[in-house]
Amino acid sequence: MATASPTSIRYYDGETAEVHLVAVRVTTNELVIYRPAGAEVVARWPIGEVTVLGDTQHEVVPPVVRRGSDARLIIEDPQVRSNLASLVPALQPLVPQPVAVGRRIAVFSSIIVALVGLFWAVLDYGTEYAAPFLPHSVQEQLGETVLDDLLADKEQCEGAAGLAAINRLANDLAQEAGYSHPITVHIVEGGPVNAFTLPGGILVFYSDLITQAKDRSQVAGVVAHEIGHVVHYHPTKGLVRAYGMDLLLKLVSGGYSEMMSTVGGGGSLLLALRNGRAAEREADATGVDLLERRGLRADGVSTFFQQLMEKDPKDAAAAAGIWSSHPPTTERIEATKRPATGRPAFSNAEWQALLNVCK
Amino acid sequence: MLVTLGWSRFWGRTNIRRYVWSHLTVMGDRFEYRGRGRELLIGFLLALLMIVVWIGLMWLVWRYVFHERPAASFGMFDLFSLSVALIGFPLAYVGHYAGLRYKLSRTRWRGIRCGMAGSAWSYGALATGLHFANATTAYLLTPLVSVNLARPRISNARVGTLPFLFAGRAGDIYGRYIGYYFLNIVAWIAAGIAVFVAVGGTIESLGISSDDFLKLLSRPSLNTVLLVLVLAFAAYIVFGLLILPLRCWWQAYLLRYLVTHSRAGNLLFTTAITTRQMWGFLVLNYLILLLTLGIGWPWVMHRTMKLISAQLWIYGEPNGQEIRQPADRGPGYGEGLLDMFDVGGV
Repeated sequence: MATASPTSIRYYDGETAEVHLVAVRVTTNELVIYRPAGAEVVARWPIGEVTVLGDTQHEVVPPVVRRGSDARLIIEDPQVRSNLASLVPALQPLVPQPVAVGRRIAVFSSIIVALVGLFWAVLDYGTEYAAPFLPHSVQEQLGETVLDDLLADKEQCEGAAGLAAINRLANDLAQEAGYSHPITVHIVEGGPVNAFTLPGGILVFYSDLITQAKDRSQVAGVVAHEIGHVVHYHPTKGLVRAYGMDLLLKLVSGGYSEMMSTVGGGGSLLLALRNGRAAEREADATGVDLLERRGLRADGVSTFFQQLMEKDPKDAAAAAGIWSSHPPTTERIEATKRPATGRPAFSNAEWQALLNVCK
Repeated sequence: MLVTLGWSRFWGRTNIRRYVWSHLTVMGDRFEYRGRGRELLIGFLLALLMIVVWIGLMWLVWRYVFHERPAASFGMFDLFSLSVALIGFPLAYVGHYAGLRYKLSRTRWRGIRCGMAGSAWSYGALATGLHFANATTAYLLTPLVSVNLARPRISNARVGTLPFLFAGRAGDIYGRYIGYYFLNIVAWIAAGIAVFVAVGGTIESLGISSDDFLKLLSRPSLNTVLLVLVLAFAAYIVFGLLILPLRCWWQAYLLRYLVTHSRAGNLLFTTAITTRQMWGFLVLNYLILLLTLGIGWPWVMHRTMKLISAQLWIYGEPNGQEIRQPADRGPGYGEGLLDMFDVGGV
């Protein structure tokens, strides 16, 4: 069996970088590589050991090799390649296979879009339902790690009676909401006038918030608001979302595009802030509701915000708009307005102890 | 499933290299890339393992040296980031060199494997030392750094048994560099003044107070967004017109110098790459990547390869019989952090 081959075939012997211009003949069991002038045989490759490296999709001319050897045949002429492929089945990869590029791109991109969408949905809505099922011990550990980091160089207030008072109220309200785990309140000396919640039922109050409150109902209002965050698992959801979004971005961009991660980072920040504003509204409503259910005075939240407004009449949260982590203060005052009736949340002795918690 | 999006990059990168290599010819002979995605994956996994080991090591330090107590608000995460920053720079240089070794070892020309001799570790040490010295001397050592880092990379490269040679000296290019250095300072000052005047003038002429300005940013309308984009683009133009051409001017000169002072046996290399072409390479390619969110990468690759094939001129005829197949097969895995540690090369 023979094939007429023009001399557009290059043979590299695998030992040196010399180029041999050759022709190829196929016999029943051999690929014979010879010089066209004088028909001097350069190499004989058993058909069973002949194979193609790579494919026509990615390489212009996939080399023909003998298994276990560095020698190569480079056949530039497509006609010769298809002739050879028709004679030797092992050389079939030399013939270009049609590729439906458009279809492949379409399929791949729809899969990517679908997966990203799915992941996003799972993250955004799934955390809403899944966060409560995260074992409490894990949430607690998360919270404590953050707490240690935050309080590393801060003084904590240790007044036993004061801490007992605020912990008592926090746990009462949590029980009222049906939250079955204990709440721990930490008080940090100094400012700002603020309080926040960490995963695992950990509350942190700054002592300035207590000393600058007009009366005990305001502190109780803030405690109730923070318990609102606890029973809705807001801190855990926030953490899960933030890490999840970060992961999603890395996977989608393959870590290649810096622009993408910058834009995406901004997007996920805005998303986190939007979720933050929704969470604040939810915590406000739940806090006031819990106080009312226990028959306690529930106007503290709104008077606390009014006090904030008097200090900062411009309403920084409203001014910051989409960049704010909290809803506009005026909106929150309207939503939490309640009559000044009901039992006080702290007894006189408790309130005094709380005021002196840092002394 | 989503995870595969990230993992598939090892095979994707390999396919792209096979495509690009096989489209480049020297003396009518195509290059061949015979790396495998699997090798990159293994390199990456080993690198991951090393990071895990490193984190464990830092945790032990945290536990038994610092006794889990933060010193002056220096927490465990600070310890991680500081330690990674300290080892990261030197290891990145080691990784560059070892990555080059991997790519060359998977590259064939006329069936002959290319390769890279020399130690990635000593290259890493040299690069770290030179870059540190350069940074502490206001970047006046740049020619010294460029030439002394190009030398090991060029003169250790091989095609089979044929080594490359590099005959550059930093002294040759110092004159041009000093000129670039001071022109650059002047250009920065001019660009700073131009931007300051333009931005200040715009805000003043619109009669906007700083309060209004903040309000605009917090509730962005489409107009504000467009305005910010236009301003950013204008700043880029000012910066781009003054600073970047100067940089390209120097980079083109440096590249011409490095290429023309390299040879392999009786093969001589030369290039006449211009400042403008360097601009297309450094700036336009960057913009393409930026504006297409990275999807334009194949286009950038194509542009780069076209530039190389048009601008790298090779003179001389190699004696094919003298270039022999090398004995070593190169590193077994590629380009992970492991490459940074160069274990694959041992």
